[in-house]
Amino acid sequence: MRMLLRHETILALVAVVLLVALAFQSSQFFTGANLLNQGRLMTEVGLVAIIMTFVIITGGIDLSVGSILGLTAILTGVFWQNLGLPLAAAAGLAIAVGTFCGFVNGFVITRFGVPPLIATLATLALYRGLAEGISQARSVRGYPDWFYVLGQGNLFGVPTQLWILIVFAILASVLLATTRIGRSIYAIGANEVAAFFSGLPVNRTKIAVYTASGFAAALAGVIFVSRVSTTRSDMGTGLELDAITAVVLGGTSIYGGRGSVIGTLIGLVVIQSLKNGLSLAGIKAEGTAVLIGLMLIGAILMTTALNRRRA
Amino acid sequence: MSSNLEEQSRTPPFVRLAGISKSFGQVKVLKDISFDVRPGEIHALLGENGAGKSTMIKILSGLHQPDGGRMEIEGQPMRFASARDANAAGIATVYQELLLFPELTVAENIFLGHYPRKAMGRIDWTAARAGARALLDSLDCHDLDVDTRIATLSVAQRQRVEIAKALSHKARILIMDEPTASLTEKDVTRLMEVVRSLKARGVGIVYVSHRMPEIFALADRVSVLRDGMMIDTRAIADADEATLVSLMVGRSIEQLFPKGEAKIGEPVLDVSRLNHGRLVRDISFTLKRGEVLGIAGLVGSGRTELALTLFGITPATSGEIRVMGKPVSIRTPRQARDLGLAYVPEDRGLQGLVKSMTINENLSMAALDRIAPGLFLNFAEEARRAVDAVRRLGVRARAGIHQPVGELSGGNQQKVVIAKWLETRPDILILDEPTRGVDVGAKAEIHAMMSDLAAKGLAIIMISSELPEVIGMSDRILVMNNGQVTGMIDRADATPETVGAAMTAQTKSKEAA
Repeated sequence: MRMLLRHETILALVAVVLLVALAFQSSQFFTGANLLNQGRLMTEVGLVAIIMTFVIITGGIDLSVGSILGLTAILTGVFWQNLGLPLAAAAGLAIAVGTFCGFVNGFVITRFGVPPLIATLATLALYRGLAEGISQARSVRGYPDWFYVLGQGNLFGVPTQLWILIVFAILASVLLATTRIGRSIYAIGANEVAAFFSGLPVNRTKIAVYTASGFAAALAGVIFVSRVSTTRSDMGTGLELDAITAVVLGGTSIYGGRGSVIGTLIGLVVIQSLKNGLSLAGIKAEGTAVLIGLMLIGAILMTTALNRRRA
Repeated sequence: MSSNLEEQSRTPPFVRLAGISKSFGQVKVLKDISFDVRPGEIHALLGENGAGKSTMIKILSGLHQPDGGRMEIEGQPMRFASARDANAAGIATVYQELLLFPELTVAENIFLGHYPRKAMGRIDWTAARAGARALLDSLDCHDLDVDTRIATLSVAQRQRVEIAKALSHKARILIMDEPTASLTEKDVTRLMEVVRSLKARGVGIVYVSHRMPEIFALADRVSVLRDGMMIDTRAIADADEATLVSLMVGRSIEQLFPKGEAKIGEPVLDVSRLNHGRLVRDISFTLKRGEVLGIAGLVGSGRTELALTLFGITPATSGEIRVMGKPVSIRTPRQARDLGLAYVPEDRGLQGLVKSMTINENLSMAALDRIAPGLFLNFAEEARRAVDAVRRLGVRARAGIHQPVGELSGGNQQKVVIAKWLETRPDILILDEPTRGVDVGAKAEIHAMMSDLAAKGLAIIMISSELPEVIGMSDRILVMNNGQVTGMIDRADATPETVGAAMTAQTKSKEAA
């Protein structure tokens, strides 16, 4: 626990230094409007990354989240426009389908013992294929105005979806740190055999975690549609990599058993402010990508070094 | 023998440690250690778990670097930066957990990292296979094929491969860490012959073991470590078992197997014609309150498989289990636990503990319901229970309940596993090799604890490979061979001969008929 906090403390310091440095690079960066807007842009990856933290702590991975997001987005449009459901019901139903997609991941992984990397690589293709097949390359537009409140509106001066992210993050933190489920998640990731021999519900917990991951991706999908006012089948492509980057940067061990939601949140902030601040400072996107890659390697080296010192 | 010893004592040591110390963080693990090994000498190293043996071995084999003191090889000061350096200097180690690659062949494993080469750096497989053959033959292992994959070999065979691998580095000193811990009697005898033949060839051997008979049969000198200090080094002729044990634990062990009288109560577990696979066939027995039922048998006789089936890890394919007279179905460890069963598994590192988690977290793992009646964990209650359990079982942890269990010694780890299961307040406790890899002191404590638990009405099943332990602790002994029950022996009739005979008997059915 002390070690985790140390990783997160170091990363938080890096984040502060970064924010200050970027503020000096561009006068537009450290303004309330810009920061809130960055929060808006961060929400979808954020929701997914928070549950990805759970998945990675169990020693697994979920590559299908981007595809679930795309499928949910398409289904929201199709249920509303083609089936004529009320938009709220259409979105709710689409989220239910996305959640079920996550359940399928968990079921395949636990029942058939398929490694999570392979299982979700398969469903990454499967769910994206379904999204493309259903959409037939048509986009759905023209949603009612109230729907845009979710992705483009504000509540008490803060982007609506940022509130969702905050509530989601708090619930997830509490769940992971103070409940039986959270304890089981850490135990499974650290030593699955011992967890099973101790009578912990290993399979049930894993299924729950992948189902939650599907739910987070689906929720992010609806928010995405609301934010960009349209529905396309390629939405969320590559999202899984952004989410995993944030999680690993936040100090969660890719081998499982270690990690925290707060670390992931700091990781998200670091990545988002780098992307935004550097583009405001006139640095090209490629340069930013290189920098994020280097930071990730740095973070992993740091985790390894901290672990070694303890061992 | 004695002239041999005198001659040896004149031989200068091959490796010598002088005033070696080593700390991890704040903890001094080794203090001012002096130790040496001469060519052609078997030097036994004794000490309780946590005494510093592993650290000392790791310093000798280059895995740890000492903080202070000197190391000399043939009189020359030497520092090892890695295990490779130690290998190059002629020191090889055979660890307790054998470090071979299961998917590679015997020959590949032996020469891994230093294959004989042909032109252009290509590996000379012919030379490697011939070399491996020669090394194995020199160990009298003519029955081992160099092209076999390691995964298909028995533990004893793998160990011989490890020894051959050490010799392939032209080892002058061979460190053997509890080489007989998981061997059968027959393999132990064979290993001892191998060790003697290495000695005859002038290889110096550091022999780490808890087993006194082996030490007295093999060693020339014996050194005892306690609490990170070298307590004594003496010729084996000047030592006897009682002295060594008291040197080791710093106190005298009154009695090793103190199973007291317990009131045997009503049956709690009734197993009838239980089957799973090849190693659990038609097993029937009854277990009563306050009773210790020992399960004896050779390695591979189905003892552990029976425990796994009872505990729902490999659920029974047929047969009946009754708990408190009620027929039950046990398909998962969770169900077993809820029925009042507890299983302390054979492999505590893999199956028993989450080593990276704290004592506190491990202790509550099987009984999370008790500290979290709802969704939320009651951290205060968890800590209170942990402090209580640590005190009751005498777990020695310098950082208290928040120390990761991976940092504890073997005996203390085992106490944590047992305590974890006692937290579930079981009626039936299955102990699988409860004292394997545990030092003499902790062993006596575990035996006393079992006795105490049985007196309180717990029913205990104890699987053990150590005959004296089974005979000393059990009220009745169930003997298995080849997946079947070959004997049920009462305490009064249990002798090494009766139990041993049943262990190799075919089936009981003829006898019963």
